[in-house]
Amino acid sequence: MTTTTIDLQQIGAEIWAAILGLDLQPADAVAQHDSDVVVVTGVVQITGDWAGAVTVQVSEGLARTATALMFGSDPADVTEEEITDTVGELANMTGGNVKSLLAGNCQLSLPSVTTGRDYQVHISGAEVVERATACCDGELVVMTMLERRH
Amino acid sequence: MKILVVDDSKAMRAIVKRALSGLDRVAGATIIEAADGKEAFGTVQAEQPDLVLSDWNMPEMTGIELLQALNEAGVSVTFGFVTSESTPEMHELAKSNGAKFLVSKPFTPESIDAALAGAI
Repeated sequence: MTTTTIDLQQIGAEIWAAILGLDLQPADAVAQHDSDVVVVTGVVQITGDWAGAVTVQVSEGLARTATALMFGSDPADVTEEEITDTVGELANMTGGNVKSLLAGNCQLSLPSVTTGRDYQVHISGAEVVERATACCDGELVVMTMLERRH
Repeated sequence: MKILVVDDSKAMRAIVKRALSGLDRVAGATIIEAADGKEAFGTVQAEQPDLVLSDWNMPEMTGIELLQALNEAGVSVTFGFVTSESTPEMHELAKSNGAKFLVSKPFTPESIDAALAGAI
């Protein structure tokens, strides 16, 4: 199944603008977080006629900002649980919008969230088929689609 | 008016509540929450809300399972979905089970207001 019509950058920009009031601008396509940055990754898996995953990765600092906007609180006051909830929901919305554009019958998993430095996300049997990078208040947002092909 | 917001994401419940709080259509409404369909099923019967706004994909009991369970229990309540997934099949399934609307995430206060206009 082709996935070439799915524009992750546009999907992400619409979500971040509507939910957080933040502007996502396209960034250098090969940009990635520095290895010393704490990165929060939200993942949802899609199964069915198309199988794979959608990820959203942000720095811990931007995750904290987004969480504060979600909850209407001060960035210094947000909890790790709230950050996990927020990044998971950003991944859920991104994955849900991707799923809506896929042909056939697909199911969306609940989101999972990982936090740490210098790690990579591997989905068994899947490879990256779309990758979008965006800049938000000087911070990097990375969104990917990984398709399971065997 | 009493509105039950059902979503496993506390962050999303906060966003939905904030959107509702700015709408004249539901001004003064009491907003209560549930974290999944199973909890919401009990809350609907205990609190008897006028409107349920539910996510679709949740642990324990999904939104559509909640609506079907309410129907089977003979509980009548105005019900709408607020969900990140929005396919024609989901719209049809929601409608066939009596849902009044399905609002896609990301939503705006205006899109929720437009959905509520035809439901309450």
